[in-house]
Amino acid sequence: MKTKIRTTLLAVTGFLFLFTMISCDSSTDPEIPEYQLVWSDEFNGQAGESPDSTKWTYDIGTGDNGWGNQELQYYTDRPENVSLDGDGNLVITAIREAFGGQAFSSARIKTQGLFEQTYGRFEARIKLPYGPGLWPAFWLLGTDVSTIGWPQCGEIDIMEYRGQQPYLVHSTVHGPGYSGGGGVSKTYGFENDRFDVDFHLFAVEWGEDYIRFYVDDEMFQELEPGDLSGEWVFDNSFFMILNVAVGGNYVGFPTSETPFPQKMYIDYVRVYKAL
Amino acid sequence: MIKRNLVIKTFGLTLLFLFVLAGCERDPDILEPAEYPSVPEVFIDGFSSGLNYAAFGGSRVDAFDVDTEVKYSGSSSMKIEVPDFEDPYGAYAGGVYYTSVGRNLSGFDALTFRAKATKPAEIDVLGIGNDLGEAKYQATRSGMKINANWKKYYIPIPDPSKWVAERGMFFYSEGPEDGSGYTIWFDEVKYEKTGLLAHPRPSILEQQDQNIDAAIGDLLPIGGTFVTYNFPDGTDKRIDAAPAYFTYTSSDESVATVDEYGQISAISMGTAVITAQLAGVDADGSITLNVGEARPAPAQPAPAPTVPAADVISMFSNAYTNVPVDTWATYWEFSTTEYEEIQIAGDDVKLYTKLNFNGIEFASQTIDASSMTRFHMDIWTPDATDLPAEFKVLLVDFGADGAYDGGDDASHELTFTASTTPALATEEWVSLDVPLSAFTGLTTKGHLGQLVISGDPNTVYVDNVYFYDDGSGGGGGGSGEPTEPAPTPTANSADVISIYSDAYTNVGANYFPSWGQATAASEISISGNNTLKYAGFDYQGIELASSIDVSGMGSLHLDIWTENSTEFNFYLISPGPVEQAYSVSVPTTGWQTVDIPITSFASVDLTDVIQLKSDGNGDIYLDNIYFNTGGGGGGGSEPTSAAPTPTYPAGDVISLYSNAYTNNTVDTWSADWDDADVADVQVAGDDTKLYSNLVFAGIEFTSQTVDASGLTHFRMDIWTPDPTALPNVFKIKLVDFGADGAFDGGDDVEHELTFNASSTPALATGQWITFDIPLGDFTGLTTKGHLAQLILVGETIPTVYVDNILFHK
Repeated sequence: MKTKIRTTLLAVTGFLFLFTMISCDSSTDPEIPEYQLVWSDEFNGQAGESPDSTKWTYDIGTGDNGWGNQELQYYTDRPENVSLDGDGNLVITAIREAFGGQAFSSARIKTQGLFEQTYGRFEARIKLPYGPGLWPAFWLLGTDVSTIGWPQCGEIDIMEYRGQQPYLVHSTVHGPGYSGGGGVSKTYGFENDRFDVDFHLFAVEWGEDYIRFYVDDEMFQELEPGDLSGEWVFDNSFFMILNVAVGGNYVGFPTSETPFPQKMYIDYVRVYKAL
Repeated sequence: MIKRNLVIKTFGLTLLFLFVLAGCERDPDILEPAEYPSVPEVFIDGFSSGLNYAAFGGSRVDAFDVDTEVKYSGSSSMKIEVPDFEDPYGAYAGGVYYTSVGRNLSGFDALTFRAKATKPAEIDVLGIGNDLGEAKYQATRSGMKINANWKKYYIPIPDPSKWVAERGMFFYSEGPEDGSGYTIWFDEVKYEKTGLLAHPRPSILEQQDQNIDAAIGDLLPIGGTFVTYNFPDGTDKRIDAAPAYFTYTSSDESVATVDEYGQISAISMGTAVITAQLAGVDADGSITLNVGEARPAPAQPAPAPTVPAADVISMFSNAYTNVPVDTWATYWEFSTTEYEEIQIAGDDVKLYTKLNFNGIEFASQTIDASSMTRFHMDIWTPDATDLPAEFKVLLVDFGADGAYDGGDDASHELTFTASTTPALATEEWVSLDVPLSAFTGLTTKGHLGQLVISGDPNTVYVDNVYFYDDGSGGGGGGSGEPTEPAPTPTANSADVISIYSDAYTNVGANYFPSWGQATAASEISISGNNTLKYAGFDYQGIELASSIDVSGMGSLHLDIWTENSTEFNFYLISPGPVEQAYSVSVPTTGWQTVDIPITSFASVDLTDVIQLKSDGNGDIYLDNIYFNTGGGGGGGSEPTSAAPTPTYPAGDVISLYSNAYTNNTVDTWSADWDDADVADVQVAGDDTKLYSNLVFAGIEFTSQTVDASGLTHFRMDIWTPDPTALPNVFKIKLVDFGADGAFDGGDDVEHELTFNASSTPALATGQWITFDIPLGDFTGLTTKGHLAQLILVGETIPTVYVDNILFHK
């Protein structure tokens, strides 16, 4: 019953139109490879347990200038901010509290150094938090960020969301010449539903010359090297990040009407490789 | 939350709808059971089918209109003009859009609309589910912010499954913002299934878990019911939802039950926990009800007071006529007190439960107890009154400004216990009857405005609350004597039957009969003028030597002087005895001449008057009591003498209307926007304006505005045949158009003064009253260089003769 609306950047409108034309002929659908599960975390542990340390590590603190975005939270590894709920979910909780000199605490976990992969399908089933100033994300970052830096390393944002627009999610890729506000982005929206009342599956399928974004297995964005205004930097290994930011220049400040605490529930994260 | 009378204003669409129904001639027997239409539109470009509008009582009834100029889309929008503060047409804008036939809107989750306003504002109340009846499924959004940009707004339906036959489509109520009116537009008003209102968190009792002691038979309403929704912009907002939206559960139905409206009934002793759900979601908040045995209650009413009515100012008693009291329960913050009005054996009694402290206010008409000596209140409590239990009574006098605070308030609190005199007692009536002098901090008693009760007894029955004068003559000072005699009457002796006057030959009378009165009546001489003095007055008679026939007379004249009386009634008596009272406005400022229309005594046999009588309180001086033909018997419905001629030098006056001066141009004596009729009449040869059907009259002198900046006073004389006792009021408003000399333009200033029977000057019936008001009293009139409007408000005083309207120094 849900009606999906699609908005798009002007730059890719022509492409969408072309795609729609082609899709009338079923024989020219993008070729979907067969995938094999290679990595997953189902988060089936006891309530209050921290995430599996063989799979996840943490970013702690405030980073440099609020992780580059003037974000307001202090990231911790405390169970209050990140732990299993005992019902098969990992929960990242943003709390309004004075912590580490910041007004909010939250968590950001990643597979850096534990699991990195080039190409494949990355997916997570998530129920999102809500409220102005909440900025949750599920994203990939190039492993070579520590050597060549950002944006040269590349970044694939499978899902970003602003808590004041709980019916919209956004996908973006960043690289040299198309980073920050210049990243190549696409928005997927509900007309009569929200992303914070039920779980939804956010996925990217990434190959040698394409990156395709999905919500609930509906593809709403496909990028190829020619769609980017700069160099294609997506042939190296990437790692995954899950976080809930509060404030920052992407989302704006929380208001007095933003309810806290806010929780992002992650049912599972799975990674596949094409056969 | 909103209980207002309604002024129904039906729109053409309804009539059309009715006509169409009448047009289909169907046999009623074959009509199918009603299926309620599922029409989501309320107002898109006009009223949807069957929609009506009704304005709230007291609101500006023409606040709502359809606007074809400003709209979000389509051809028209709904426009609400919120009035300015003190708009004579209505103090706020408010009304209900409802249908006569219910609609099934259970498939939708919110009312949505676009709105904007001429300035940023917070709308007091917007809501749905008000059907002008029980408003069972009302839901409201308070303090919704709005600004000059069209924006989409939402009011969620707390549980759409209840909306199968709803008639209350939309309602609003908004007052001025910071005293100023403004305009709001609504458009595209309709019900939608948005899917965007998430995470409902229902609450009862303001989310509190309350533990309450009750007694068998108690009925307790559940309040504080609301739902917090997360709105489409991610923000949490509160929607107040009627209690009937919730489903209540009692943990023990034999102890307490809850009906569908959220009213708890305590049935038997024990404990029950009351919880609630809204649409299957558990609500925050609960009541643990500990039901004890039925409350003891007084079997008998309080003993009836025996103090003569003339000595009493009663706030609450079936034995007396009571003065107005604004509220018997102020529900101040932190007060847990609940209040009921009950009867015991036919006697009205106030019942307070859960009393910690409770305010009783009579601020809008303060009590002058300066001639009273004692305070009385009867109480009954089922609760323990052994020491250290105490019960306190606080009296507050608002001082000369007659208003709370202002630096001149005085107060004192008395504490009663089981060992004070009088002493508290359990399960019996106790008369707390104490001298006012015991309230030592109550240094003024002329403007009592509050009575506060507090203490340990939880349940207190209260009766017979009054002030009275026991004749002990305390009260201190104030009762002076007139320094000059009453004015000498001018009526022709041929037109007069005189009872008591040096100016005429009096009919024979005994002025000092012994009727058991407390009054010390005597005759005194003031500058050689004989005057009657009634000291410590309760009542006093005058016995005529023989019966007189006054049926041909027009009025009864008397001159009265009193500084401390708060009540004075004058009676004529014919055999039977048959008597009838006329209430004279007291106290007076100096000598007051009263001409009472003889028709005021119509129930007395006027051909056979044998006695005169007066009652009331205070110290009274009387003179020149006589009947007058009243110049052919106008009968007091019109003045027989001209207004007093002003004597200010012409050079100190700017006159709008007076035979004594050259008058400025007045454009209209009754503007087309006012609600009054005006006529030119002559009174004893003097030109006078007669206003009739006066609600409010607009007098405009815009073409020759008045520069009163060098003047000090506004003067006007009025005479009315109408009752002027409280709560009747007469208001005078002056408007200055500011430097631009034109209405509006942002620089207009105005001020309205209100007069009543206890103001200075006081209103009175059947006599000329001179208002000579310092311009400084019009405090809002910050500029006086371009005065252009005078507005007279009569409301309950519909007939007013007006003369000598002028400014002077």
